[in-house]
Amino acid sequence: MDELELLKKDWNKNGDKYPKLSYDEIYKMILKKSSSIVKWIFIISLLEFVFWGIISIALKDTESMQRFKNYDADKIIIPLTIFGYIILAYFFYLFFKNYKTISVTDSAKVLMENILKTRRTVKKYVAFNLIYLVFSTIVVLFIEFDKDAELINQVEQASANGEVFKFYAIIIITTLLLLAVAVGVLLLFYWLVYGLLLGRLNKNYKELKKLEV
Amino acid sequence: MKKELEHNFVELLEKHQNIVHKVCRLYTNNQDAHNDLFQEITIQLWKAYPKFRGDSKFSTWMYRVGLNTAITLYRKNKRRIKTEEFDAFQYKISAEAYDDSEEHQLKLMYKAVRQLNDIDKALIFLYLEDKSYKEISETMGISEVNARVKMNRIKTKLKTILNP
Repeated sequence: MDELELLKKDWNKNGDKYPKLSYDEIYKMILKKSSSIVKWIFIISLLEFVFWGIISIALKDTESMQRFKNYDADKIIIPLTIFGYIILAYFFYLFFKNYKTISVTDSAKVLMENILKTRRTVKKYVAFNLIYLVFSTIVVLFIEFDKDAELINQVEQASANGEVFKFYAIIIITTLLLLAVAVGVLLLFYWLVYGLLLGRLNKNYKELKKLEV
Repeated sequence: MKKELEHNFVELLEKHQNIVHKVCRLYTNNQDAHNDLFQEITIQLWKAYPKFRGDSKFSTWMYRVGLNTAITLYRKNKRRIKTEEFDAFQYKISAEAYDDSEEHQLKLMYKAVRQLNDIDKALIFLYLEDKSYKEISETMGISEVNARVKMNRIKTKLKTILNP
């Protein structure tokens, strides 16, 4: 192809076509901070860990949780809490291990894979939290129905009026709605942040993968 | 110790800076974006430099880090391509050409290359830099056979852009 040869010739005789940065200019550059997507993914991932950490701590001190202590439900709540922390530690370890393997000197494909792996770890952690949230809510509801005097009273009243089904339906629907809102907000967050951050990487990764088929 | 490392690195990069400029030229459309990408590649090179062993050539190593930054790590400028800037930049590229028709052809070629996707640009770039298929395949993380096949496809693609 003649044109390509022509291009190659022009490409390589570029002597003073480019800006020539001085030693000092380059030196100043190495002192600046990177704004690469890896850095952003790292920051956002840490924020996600912090976010879920704050949520679990915040829930612990609420009035209903304090009331919970009186229910003698420790044998359920303590294992659940410990389990939550073990999983958190595990994901934290995985995240850092993956993050450390990201190296700009790998081949393009390996680099992309490692970034996506790091990102997937955090995604799994959030998925775990959502499942954990749903599961805990169900457990808490059961305990409440079993122990909360006021609630038991209400249930009895409802069944006396023949509205026990309606009563349960309202509680279940409200709970589901709240959970759906929480999940919805998180999904929106993901769609926005990671869509912006990883759109290009995903596109290029697909392009590279296509070559292997 | 750190000072010495810094000094060696800056000196090497100053000498080989054209490689980085070439990557920037291919992946950006205006001077601001060019500078921005140059800055990011420099940072990535510097961060990776302590692990550079010298068993490969500094320039070879630069290709990899430069392309990886452009394709994967760098977030594109939000600013859309401005036609005037784009043309001005183009013109500078082919200003050295002497023959009128050759200049025109080159202009078209550069324009066609710019229309390729990120991965195709990387392959063309390595081709223009006279890299072997072995090196291309190692830089991109694909097999040598696939690199060849892809290269032929890109050539066809360029042809179609040039002669629609």
